[in-house]
Amino acid sequence: MADTYRIRVKGHLDDRWSDWLGGLAIHLQEDGTTVLVGPVVDQAALHGVIIRIRDLGLPLLSVRRVAGPHSNTKQG
Amino acid sequence: MIGQAYNSPMVDAPGQGAATSPLLETKLYIPKWRPGLVSRPRLIERLDQGIERKLTLVSAPAGFGKTTLLAEWLAATPASERATGWVSLDQSDNDPALFWAYFITALQTMRSGVGGNALSLLHSPQPPPIESVLTTLINEINAIEDDFALILDDYHVVDAQPVHSAIAFLLDHLPPQMHLVIASRSDPPLPLARLRGRGESIELRASDLRFAPDEAAAFLNEVMGLDLSAADVAALETRTEGWIAGLQLAALSMRGREDVSGFIKAFAGDDRYIVDYLVEEVLQRQPERVRSFLLQTSILDRLSGPLCDAVTDQGEGKGRLEALERGNLFVVPLDDKRQWYRYHHLFADVLRAHAMEEQPDRVPILHRRASEWYEHNGLPADAIRHALAGEDFERAAGLMEPVGRPMMFTGGQETMLGWLKALPDALVGSRPVLSGIYAWVLLHTGQVDAIEPRLRDAERWLETTSDTSEEQEPPLVEMVVVDEEEFRSLPGMIAAVRAARAGAVGDVPGTAEYARRALELLPEGDHLLRGVATALLALAYLTSGDLDAAYGIFADGMASLKLGGDIQHNTSGAYILADIRMAQGRLHEAVATYQQSLQLAMEQGEPVPRGTADMYVGLSELQREHDDLEAATQLLLKSKELGERAAAPDWQHRRCAALAQIKEAQGDLDGALDLLDEAERLYYRTPVPDLRPIAALKTRIRVAQGRLTEALGWVRERGLSVDDDLSYIREFEHVTLARVLIARYRSDRADRSIDEAMGLLERLRKAAEEGGRTGSVIEILVQQALAHEAQDDLPSALEPLERALSLAEPLTGREVEILRLVAAGMRNQEIAEQLFISLSTVKRHIANAYGKLGVSHRTEAVARANELNLL
Repeated sequence: MADTYRIRVKGHLDDRWSDWLGGLAIHLQEDGTTVLVGPVVDQAALHGVIIRIRDLGLPLLSVRRVAGPHSNTKQG
Repeated sequence: MIGQAYNSPMVDAPGQGAATSPLLETKLYIPKWRPGLVSRPRLIERLDQGIERKLTLVSAPAGFGKTTLLAEWLAATPASERATGWVSLDQSDNDPALFWAYFITALQTMRSGVGGNALSLLHSPQPPPIESVLTTLINEINAIEDDFALILDDYHVVDAQPVHSAIAFLLDHLPPQMHLVIASRSDPPLPLARLRGRGESIELRASDLRFAPDEAAAFLNEVMGLDLSAADVAALETRTEGWIAGLQLAALSMRGREDVSGFIKAFAGDDRYIVDYLVEEVLQRQPERVRSFLLQTSILDRLSGPLCDAVTDQGEGKGRLEALERGNLFVVPLDDKRQWYRYHHLFADVLRAHAMEEQPDRVPILHRRASEWYEHNGLPADAIRHALAGEDFERAAGLMEPVGRPMMFTGGQETMLGWLKALPDALVGSRPVLSGIYAWVLLHTGQVDAIEPRLRDAERWLETTSDTSEEQEPPLVEMVVVDEEEFRSLPGMIAAVRAARAGAVGDVPGTAEYARRALELLPEGDHLLRGVATALLALAYLTSGDLDAAYGIFADGMASLKLGGDIQHNTSGAYILADIRMAQGRLHEAVATYQQSLQLAMEQGEPVPRGTADMYVGLSELQREHDDLEAATQLLLKSKELGERAAAPDWQHRRCAALAQIKEAQGDLDGALDLLDEAERLYYRTPVPDLRPIAALKTRIRVAQGRLTEALGWVRERGLSVDDDLSYIREFEHVTLARVLIARYRSDRADRSIDEAMGLLERLRKAAEEGGRTGSVIEILVQQALAHEAQDDLPSALEPLERALSLAEPLTGREVEILRLVAAGMRNQEIAEQLFISLSTVKRHIANAYGKLGVSHRTEAVARANELNLL
């Protein structure tokens, strides 16, 4: 199950990048940073997002896992 | 008239694989640095210092001028002073075969022919492990006299671990005249800390590469032709933090603008991601046709005029590209002829994001046009890539089917596998030919477990087509076949894959059954697959010890491969045929087999077919059997001269093992063991059963050295026992076991091992006699004699020995004469003087006699010869 991640990069990003960055939601912060938030399906997907951040030359400030797998989904 | 305007960007790739994945010359093009750009002497100086070390790493995010810096460095160094090769890597280089093909071809731009052996190893149908290829390559590089550098640009696109491991291996063994430069957006997974610690690398990083204020001023005012105040320059430098791509975008945004200071103020006070901010500024300032051209062509990895014309609705691709280059709009030329370009990667990413946002429905259409253009220009690999990128899977599958066969037989299996994995499973499942190719590719990339479902997919349709009953429900999906001829071969191909898979897991009856089935099913005209199936059937016979049948069938298989145009397998197959004759004790026929095949190989002319070098190894082994060690050594040298480019993949280890056995016959046991260790390191597994395993050869030497513990360790490791069922494929190991047991008895007379050895040898002899393996019978008889001798029962020892001698060659008169002098206590030099022959001739005769007597030193030889009343 997907964990939720918060990834902070320097600079304000346009919404068009959301599809390129694993579909994470783009939140612009007042301190001039952007926070990308959303479920990331596994480690490979997380690294994929980070590689795209690298390829855009965006300074990466932090990566945090904020929540474990959604508990409202029944496992079966 | 696309075809006329289009000039191929390819270089000639060796091997038939060129038909489907030609090497692109543009990837080897060294970017030109033009005077007028900002010169960076402090960095050039550091690069010059780095040349003394193994590795220079230029590691920084996109847009920090890595490529431009390296181009300036090369422009500043005359080629006469130091040659340099260049590879611009891309995604396709995650196929190690392609990566190393480019790597070696780049070396060849500096020194033609270098790495040729390694390259042809890569292109063999079953390439050896990469370490063998690299060892060959390193040897070839060592022959270069002058220092040189090789630059790998955009290394970050590589995520294939086999490539990283191989580069690490190369760095560990890097010849001193070579220097490697890696440019990457992130640090490559190489042992960088170790290289750093030993002072074997230098690194240029973002902090080194970013423009200092004076460089920023020079760039903006001199290169980009702006006239900015120091304060404006400082503001831009601060906002971009010296990021060169950012400064270039800013400069483009400011061109022709009235209120430059106002623009800078707005830009400096904005938090937006620099590229988002500036690309919009730049795009907005382009005429609509240019803007549209940029967005549409952003899906292309490489740009040429005709290709752009095909993808855009506009006509003037070539002129447009030249104008973009003149305008510094992030277009990078890929050759000197102004034919191929690419966008700066970062710029291309942003353009693509814009294209996706503005016209998401159009992007697949653009990919389709690119795919069609590549298809019509004979570049199926690129056509397939674009079809996959546009998610036009039907089209991709249709393009893949016809290139399947050539890629099946000439490498390219990794690439084909990557494409197949990108297709939806259901689609592959509806295409029987593609499913069959999938199974074949899985087999040849070692994924034996994944084969069966693919074969079932393919077979599902065969059952449907053969079932003519009217009541049958029509299938929910329709079968799709592009290549009808391939479809006719499919049932046979499926059986051939099953035969090969059975062979790979040691299932001999299964191999034979499926191989027979394949031969029933395959069309008469499919000589290649028939040849493969026949050879598999022969190997099943060989494994079960029926040598006569194996010989006849294998010869048929080779003839079929030859009809299919596969001379190389035909050549390497001679080795197996001769090997069979050797086991049968028909040494003269073995020699004749090699000579016929050598004749055929020579008729081919240059390049010498693969497997030719192996035949000299075989002839050497035969000479060794005849105890002519000097001739055997000469033949191995001849084989080495021909080199790997004329060899089958297992040549390296066989050559080493052959040389080891010559050393052993000469009494140099330690030397023999060293060579066998090397043979083990170079070992390359083929579908042909390994009848004389290297570990068993080593054990025999250890027995001769009295290293019994190690020999017994091998017995345990192999799980050998005197009660085993006997099979031809384990015969050599079982005879070795008997040798170990006899040695054990010699060291401890109380040990029961001698009875076990005698029982095993008797069973082995009967089996060998039944299989008509005279060569084996002789060896077993000698061991039986030694077993009797170990029990001090000389009369019993004589009987098997006499039988062995009647089957094999006796000692020559000269050998007996020399042994008598040895027995009289004379040294070799004295013998040479007495007989008026050279010292080396004396040694050769003695070695021959040792070989025939099965001994390894003087006193043993004399004792044995006395026991046998030979003196």
